Amino acid sequence: MPKIVHYRDRCIGCNICYEMQPEYWRLSRKDGKATLIGSKLKKDTHILDIPLVDVEMSQAVAEHCPVKVIKVFS
Amino acid sequence: MKRPELLAPVGSFESLHAAIRGGADAIYFGVEQLNMRTKSVPTITVEDIAEVAEVCHNNGIKAYLTLNTVMYDHDMQLAGRIIKACKTAGIDAIIASDYAIFGMCQAQGMPLHISTQANVSNIESVSFFASMADVIVLSRELTVKQVAHIVAEVARRNIRGISGQLMKIEAFVHGALCMAVSGKCYMSLHEKNASANRGACVQNCRRPYKVTDLETGNEMVIDNEYIMSPKDLCTIDFMDQMIEAGIDVFKIEGRSKSAEYVYATTKCYREAIDAVLDGSYNQDRVAIWMEELEKVYNRGFWGGYFMGKKLGEWSQIPGSIATEKKVYIARCSKYYPKIQVAEFTIESGQLKAGDPLLVLGRNTGSDKLNLTALVVNGEPAEVAIKGDKITFPFENALRPGDKLYKLVSENA
Repeated sequence: MPKIVHYRDRCIGCNICYEMQPEYWRLSRKDGKATLIGSKLKKDTHILDIPLVDVEMSQAVAEHCPVKVIKVFS
Repeated sequence: MKRPELLAPVGSFESLHAAIRGGADAIYFGVEQLNMRTKSVPTITVEDIAEVAEVCHNNGIKAYLTLNTVMYDHDMQLAGRIIKACKTAGIDAIIASDYAIFGMCQAQGMPLHISTQANVSNIESVSFFASMADVIVLSRELTVKQVAHIVAEVARRNIRGISGQLMKIEAFVHGALCMAVSGKCYMSLHEKNASANRGACVQNCRRPYKVTDLETGNEMVIDNEYIMSPKDLCTIDFMDQMIEAGIDVFKIEGRSKSAEYVYATTKCYREAIDAVLDGSYNQDRVAIWMEELEKVYNRGFWGGYFMGKKLGEWSQIPGSIATEKKVYIARCSKYYPKIQVAEFTIESGQLKAGDPLLVLGRNTGSDKLNLTALVVNGEPAEVAIKGDKITFPFENALRPGDKLYKLVSENA
């Protein structure tokens, strides 16, 4: 199954992932970083299974992340 | 003449100790993602604020924290927590440009400096900010005459900051410049969605460009491909004029630079300021300082906008033209404080007596040394190779894990 992986520690909270894909992302009011909704934490990464139909948009989000902390594995 | 405060950049604990050794009167640093170097620096965290404050105050210098990015609604809690941590730790001031941070500093009784990102360029703006701040970092685009006028007007109009003291004027004296007005560049955001004003600048202005006529496809002939990358600011050759202008704080740019950069720049400007004040400032000494500054990261130097507004000093390559580079050699295995002797194990390359050396460490900072005689595995020797242990007397305490580098000419 395709996955979004978020290396959250290095996120700078720029907001673009939430702008592009609000169904998967929100901005934490606690620490100002993006949160991948419903993801599981494994070691230091947040991982979420996504349906194939969302891969293209998720890859666009990963491309737009200015600090490249979002990866999509299809 | 007024003795200006020398303010050094800190992006790591190594740089912090390097700034102290270089003779800084104060340092500034950022934490988490709310500072303008989030992309390029492994950030110091909120938890480290107390340690930075303690190290600074134990060494008799001040510590300021930059909180100067564009701020969004989702940043407010983190910003509040950072300011609270600064207040608790005794950080001397917050440097900010966002109104939300101004308000939070006022509410928490935290001293405030107005960042260069706010682009203060005239005395009326200084007067406006006096009700909330003590120090104004002026816009980098002013000339030294304009700066001197603002400083003189602060005194003439008796403009006092929130602490009751006369407002202090701070100016950048050394480091990177943009061709854009500070804090107003959206080139990186526009092309790569990486906002410089969130600390994520991709430095696309530093790359070579050519101009193409879209109608004919002809490429324009331009003298320099790096048409958007100015050389670095350096004021050491007119330090006397900068001090005469009455500027209160001299700021060095470079939180994303290395510890040896921080040490070299801080030390040179420390000596230059002291020289102007004691009357020993002259062009011979300037030449020596310039040589030292050229050894560390730089894109070539010019006097910035201080000497007039002409934009015309462009860098010739995308990165540094530093004349020296460091090559990793050895790791500190022991330090004997009573006899002040350090022991290093060679892990890479080889070392000869007389090689210029640099030691770097988290709690050591940056120190240069030159071993005229080499002791290898307890015996005098000419050369040390991988696996050898070298020992030498060194009066500043070193720590296990500190790294030793050989300084070689960039052209070697």
